[in-house]
Amino acid sequence: MVEAVDVSLIYHDHDREVFACRDINLEIGKGEFVGILGPSGSGKSSLLYLLSGLKNPTRGDIRFNGVSMSSLNDTERAQMRLQKFGFVFQQPYLLGYLTAFENILTVNQNLQERAKSLLEDLGLSEKMNRYPHELSGGERQRVCVARALVNSPEVIFADEPTAALDHINGELVVDMLNRHRNDGSLVMVTHDPAMIKDSNRILVISDGTITRN
Amino acid sequence: MPRFAHPLSPTIFLRRNAGKTVPLIAVISLAVMLVQSIIALINSIPLSIQTIYRYTDRFLGVSPRLDPTLTPVFVKELTTKPPVEIERVILCRGSGAQVKSIVGKWPFAVMGFEKDDLEYYLKRQGYTGITGRRPVDGEPEMMVSTAVAKNLNVKIGDVILKPDDSDNFSRHPVKLVGIIQCDRWLMVSNKKYFADTQPIPIDFALIFTKKLADQPIYDKWALGKMKGKFAQLFAYSEIEKESKKMFEVLYKIIDAVIGILVLVISIMMGMLMNIYQTQRLVEFGLLQAIGHTKKQLFKRVLTESVIVIVGGWFCGLVAARGLLMLLKSNLMDPQGFALDVGDPMAMSYTAPVPVAILLIAFGTIWLRFRKFDPVAVVERRIV
Repeated sequence: MVEAVDVSLIYHDHDREVFACRDINLEIGKGEFVGILGPSGSGKSSLLYLLSGLKNPTRGDIRFNGVSMSSLNDTERAQMRLQKFGFVFQQPYLLGYLTAFENILTVNQNLQERAKSLLEDLGLSEKMNRYPHELSGGERQRVCVARALVNSPEVIFADEPTAALDHINGELVVDMLNRHRNDGSLVMVTHDPAMIKDSNRILVISDGTITRN
Repeated sequence: MPRFAHPLSPTIFLRRNAGKTVPLIAVISLAVMLVQSIIALINSIPLSIQTIYRYTDRFLGVSPRLDPTLTPVFVKELTTKPPVEIERVILCRGSGAQVKSIVGKWPFAVMGFEKDDLEYYLKRQGYTGITGRRPVDGEPEMMVSTAVAKNLNVKIGDVILKPDDSDNFSRHPVKLVGIIQCDRWLMVSNKKYFADTQPIPIDFALIFTKKLADQPIYDKWALGKMKGKFAQLFAYSEIEKESKKMFEVLYKIIDAVIGILVLVISIMMGMLMNIYQTQRLVEFGLLQAIGHTKKQLFKRVLTESVIVIVGGWFCGLVAARGLLMLLKSNLMDPQGFALDVGDPMAMSYTAPVPVAILLIAFGTIWLRFRKFDPVAVVERRIV
């Protein structure tokens, strides 16, 4: 489904080349829950952004369902993200002037029934018309989860989705992501092993290289 | 399911961020109102002058210079082979008075007619009636139109021309005995009174074409024919031309002032929009990260800007119209001054305001989106 072939991401710090990711080879199958574990600065978020097409690799290739992402232009990659992927970020980013319900529909306005049912499942049905500033941090992140799930994506990319939450809320969010993803794959970056205890596979990354799979 | 507006529709953002949107619209409105009002008020000066002397568009006036005996000579010359048919020639005597204008006092002719000629003249000017009565032959009496009465703030029985008034001189006090119901500015008396009291017997000739529409053609022909002769001609086209020429320099100054104003407002608005867009970087980053294209976001922000700018422009036009109507009814009308509240020239001067702001907004937003990296937002490098 998602495949990384000899992928490296290099950035330049003055005259020095720094590898955020180095020669990564990886395959994520359909419906798989893959946890990416590693210390801060190890390159796990960079890998996630490479796999999701948000960043372009310096070397190598990322493929989704056999299609090379480097063959797609910016618009095609954006469309792929919108239609096939779901995202949950470290911070519960929501648009402050939209209600919880409307925030979910920023992905696709036509999925109102699905958005409502997700909000019900996530225990937010009574707060669907509230604005983000009227929700707690955990509730906001649950809205973000609903937004990531609303279009039934083939892959959900979660970049430390529990980082801004307490342990209980963190576990709740991961559990919801896992339960509601249906056949979609879940790739989750975290530095907390407890959060990926239900994953099918754990990748440990250090200095931009996968050290354990 | 009820009809549901797209959450990312520009109107939702603008409505729910009224705290930001309304001040922007208000600033643009004020700028537009300022520009339109200034131009309309400046335009009211030549417009008032043209209104005061509009009565001259119904005839061509001729008076001889130096030699009073030349009047019949000029009349003969001007009635020989004219390009259009002439209906009537009136010989009248005149005196001078002063009316108030926005830029001070302006001279105005008091024309003394014989009885029949007066009737013809009033009909030609489109009067609808007379309050009071007509001046009696040989008596120091006169009539003014409603616009003049308003301007001079006079009523029947008041003395208009006096022996001790150098601006409105007459050998005897000339009383107002009638008010002509007419929106044109008119001051008339009887010919005999002026003939009896003026030492130099100068007859003025007024030449009327048969068709009103032919008067400008005839005026043009007469002006050409009398060039270089000892005659003074009064034609509305000349007054119109002169009043425009008089304010040429003023309009150049106004152009420069408006240009600077538009530039200042546009830069200010561009900076404000830049600040607002900067405050929305997290929103743009998030939307781009989840799959909205730069093009979609750019189009959306641009649509929002167009709504704000055009809305501000429209509100400004409406506000200016309201302000000008207020000025017209409270300041201009009571003195008989002219003010065009829907002055098309004033409206056209406001056009650069939205155009310049739109261009600066477009440039600012384009620069903002050109190299924008959504990962910087979701990685919290931009917060």
